[in-house]
Amino acid sequence: MDHPLILLLLVPVLGALVVALLPPERVSLIRNTAILVAVLTLVYATGLATQVDFSSAAIQLNTSIVWNEQLGTSFSLGVDGLAFPLVLLTTLLVLMALLASHMITHHVKGYYLLMLLLEAATMGVFVAQDWGLFYVFWELVLIPLFFLIDRWGGKNRQTAALNFVLYTMGGSIFMLLALLVLFDATPSHSFTFAAMAEGAKHLGATEQVLIFVGMLIGLGVKMPLFPLHGWLPLAHVEAPSPVSILLSGILLKMGSYGLLRVIEILPAAAVAMQGVLFTLGVIGLLYGGLLAWRQSDMKKMIAYSSVSHMGVVLIGISTLNVYGMTGAVYQMVAHGLVAGATFMLIGLLYERTHTRDINDYGSLIKVTPRFAFLIILAFVGGVGLPSTAGFVAELHVLIGGFSTWGWMIVLLSLGVLVTAAYSIRTVKHLYTGPVRLDMEKVDDLHPLEMVAAGSLIAGTMLLGFYPTPLLDMMDVSVQHLISQFTAGSMAQLSGGIMQ
Amino acid sequence: MPDWLLLLIPGLPFLSALWIVIGFIFGWNRGEKGERETAFVAVTANTLSLLAMLGLAIYDFTHGAPGHVVLFPWLQSGGYQANISLMLDTLSLTFGVVMATITLVVTRFSVNYLHREAGFQRFFIVISLFSCAMLLIVLSGSALLGFIGWEMAGISSYMLIAYSWQRETAVEGATRAFVTNRFGDTGYLFGMFIGFVWLGSVEWNVLFGDKPDMSGMVVGIMTMGFMLAALVKSAQFPFCAWITRALEGPTPSSAVFYGSVMVHAGIYLLLRIQPLLEQVPLLGNGLVLIGVLTTLYGWLGVQVQTDIKSSLIFSTQQQTGLMLVEIGLGFYTFAAVHMGLHAIWRAYQFLHSPSFLQQTGWEPAKPVPEWLRKRRWLYTAALQRFWLVPLENWLLVRPTQALAHEAQTFDTYVIDRLTGTPSHSNMLSTLAEMQAFQQGKLRLESGVGTGSGLLGKLTQWAAEQLQALEDRLLLQKDEGKMMGYLRRIGVYLDLAEELLTQPRYLVLLIAATLAVIL
Repeated sequence: MDHPLILLLLVPVLGALVVALLPPERVSLIRNTAILVAVLTLVYATGLATQVDFSSAAIQLNTSIVWNEQLGTSFSLGVDGLAFPLVLLTTLLVLMALLASHMITHHVKGYYLLMLLLEAATMGVFVAQDWGLFYVFWELVLIPLFFLIDRWGGKNRQTAALNFVLYTMGGSIFMLLALLVLFDATPSHSFTFAAMAEGAKHLGATEQVLIFVGMLIGLGVKMPLFPLHGWLPLAHVEAPSPVSILLSGILLKMGSYGLLRVIEILPAAAVAMQGVLFTLGVIGLLYGGLLAWRQSDMKKMIAYSSVSHMGVVLIGISTLNVYGMTGAVYQMVAHGLVAGATFMLIGLLYERTHTRDINDYGSLIKVTPRFAFLIILAFVGGVGLPSTAGFVAELHVLIGGFSTWGWMIVLLSLGVLVTAAYSIRTVKHLYTGPVRLDMEKVDDLHPLEMVAAGSLIAGTMLLGFYPTPLLDMMDVSVQHLISQFTAGSMAQLSGGIMQ
Repeated sequence: MPDWLLLLIPGLPFLSALWIVIGFIFGWNRGEKGERETAFVAVTANTLSLLAMLGLAIYDFTHGAPGHVVLFPWLQSGGYQANISLMLDTLSLTFGVVMATITLVVTRFSVNYLHREAGFQRFFIVISLFSCAMLLIVLSGSALLGFIGWEMAGISSYMLIAYSWQRETAVEGATRAFVTNRFGDTGYLFGMFIGFVWLGSVEWNVLFGDKPDMSGMVVGIMTMGFMLAALVKSAQFPFCAWITRALEGPTPSSAVFYGSVMVHAGIYLLLRIQPLLEQVPLLGNGLVLIGVLTTLYGWLGVQVQTDIKSSLIFSTQQQTGLMLVEIGLGFYTFAAVHMGLHAIWRAYQFLHSPSFLQQTGWEPAKPVPEWLRKRRWLYTAALQRFWLVPLENWLLVRPTQALAHEAQTFDTYVIDRLTGTPSHSNMLSTLAEMQAFQQGKLRLESGVGTGSGLLGKLTQWAAEQLQALEDRLLLQKDEGKMMGYLRRIGVYLDLAEELLTQPRYLVLLIAATLAVIL
């Protein structure tokens, strides 16, 4: 196969087609087919890891087919050390979400079909090497998600779905405008990452910053940045749990991943906006953390905690040095696993108790020891205690942040403290205190759910104990990204802006 | 064969512990019917580990021991590097085989000994962990990996001494053993710290190699750190009080820990750091002195014991003291042979001790020898185990407690008021409340979002402000303020559109447009 990445995108799409052809009443057949497709995708993506050479910063597994010559768009795919971990994360999380999807009992066929399409679209965002294609995939993600929330969600699902789509589309307009301005300045008349990066070099500083802001608004909605996060709590609360897993696990990473790409093409603007990024990151971190601390609705709490954790990513990016950036990328993966696991476990708990209010829970540790074991580990992972992946990420961000921002980085520790406060409190309310009689019949985790949640937790611990493989995977790409900001090439850059 | 497979030697017992834990969580090996499987897993893992160890030893002895082997890098940060590495030389290979044999025999012995005990699975989890820990200590190629084993051995000894946690003496003995061991660990950590600072690595071959940047003084301090850890682990004078109180665990565990295996971990460490000890000859004299004192302590102590386990432990101390003397005098090989033989012999004695009375026909313990009975002071001292425990209490425990008490007071009156304390919201005070709660009549209002203390109140205030902002600013509920504004705008737009459909306003609009353009 000459085009491995096209095949990677095609596997879930073809799987969705197969699911579409199955008779709708054969529920378990549909489930198993979808899970099989997800397993295949995961296996194939893992297999691709051997074909990618992570000691080179170049874009690999290239595929480029010109799409529209007049418009300059091309169907151009490729991965590097930044994109590939996220592709793997996507395939893993989709599989786990499908494993934990047995609470979906109506319109099963449509659900699995959309989930597989969502997987393809998300991977498309991560492997696209052309801004036009990136934008197409970016919007494509919305369609399955809209239906997933709107049809299988909770009580306020319609509002939530509409809200989510409107927010993202609103942001996308800015992104599209920014891309068009940039395209206008590109002499080679092409949307590919490389060509546009070349084109951006001829732009003045103000224009670069304006384009950057436009992109930031578009990407910031997904990330989410502080004032643009309004869709998130509602969407997370209303979406069915497997969809929440994907929302917080992968969808948020699309925003931060896009930001990395934007920084790559607009380095001068990134330097100019460094302070803004840091401020937004800190605000997100503390704002999300404090609001999470106030919620007694557990899903809402995790939703806000996602805002807080993505603040760490933004702080890491804002350092523009190797440590911070490494921490940011590491945190993306770490948060994907932890948030996925937390949402899954809380979602499964909700299916059994039908209450998300933490005050309704009594001591569940005797009734559901397996739940307790995994939920406690998940929250511990969320706090970023040593031996979990979050620790490696936060440590890198802390080191990188200290060298760029000095003592300001103590705000990050404050954020971690707030996280610890609400995480420990949740554990306390779930598992200590007097036992409630009406909670004595709660089912413990089933083996399949145990496998799904357990492997996410195991992944968190593994990346915490042995971070080298993932660090190696992204090291060269991060260094390549940062090399634009080191002294020698900065001079060239500013020379370019002077024109 | 890939090198990393060697990790299976300590890894197999660890995996067996993990397997039993998982089985226990899922409930498939609980209770008496799970005993068979638990025992099978633990014994098989230990057997395979022993076989692998034997195979490795035989291979290496016939092909020449490779010495220090780096399996793969573990962590690297700046100038610091840590590898997963093994030290395969005569010392580690022989002692590894001895350790693996003893743990296997003891594990097998425990299968019958602990039959129908409440904590059967727990015992096998811990003994497997311990066996992994010992093999790690013996085979590790760096102080860091050795330290992991060192700590695992410490924690598993804690858990086994407190095996019957219902008894107070067991728990007290466990705590004393653990705390004393942690005291020794500070030495180990300190040694590693110096290694990292001066050499950037704590691989044994780096520590033992040429150290041009380190002065003799620093080498001495580093060696003293490791030595302290070794002395505590092997319960040498004056850290010897914990071991005699540590016999509260089940007999097989006493055998494996204090009789034969763990008590030799310290001696092993001393043998391992032989190149360092040779560089600091002064420390050898210290070792001889401590060894002699320990031997005397053990010798006098054993004279007045009336139970079999205590007698054995005191004579163990006598022997380890002698080993220390041998090491201090420079007879390293002699000490190693002594250690191996003593470990095997003592394990046999300990395992034999439960049936000892039966086989001796309930013969009473031998009376205290005449010469000791006449020296009343010495007799009392031996009986009181030289007052080491009260001395420890008086010197360390009481002052620490007093300090802790003061810190507690400071905490309550100053720190807690500043930072706030965790809420007590999910607690019930009366039985009636409990009943009402259980029936769902009473709802406990949790303290979610409320804080106490200065910082807690501050956090609460900030969170409330942000919540207010969130509710006003964002379109998240259909009742939100922003939504209200949008609705109103929508109404105005509807009105405007309605007006525009009427011709007169349309004309007006066109006219206005023309006016602007012109």
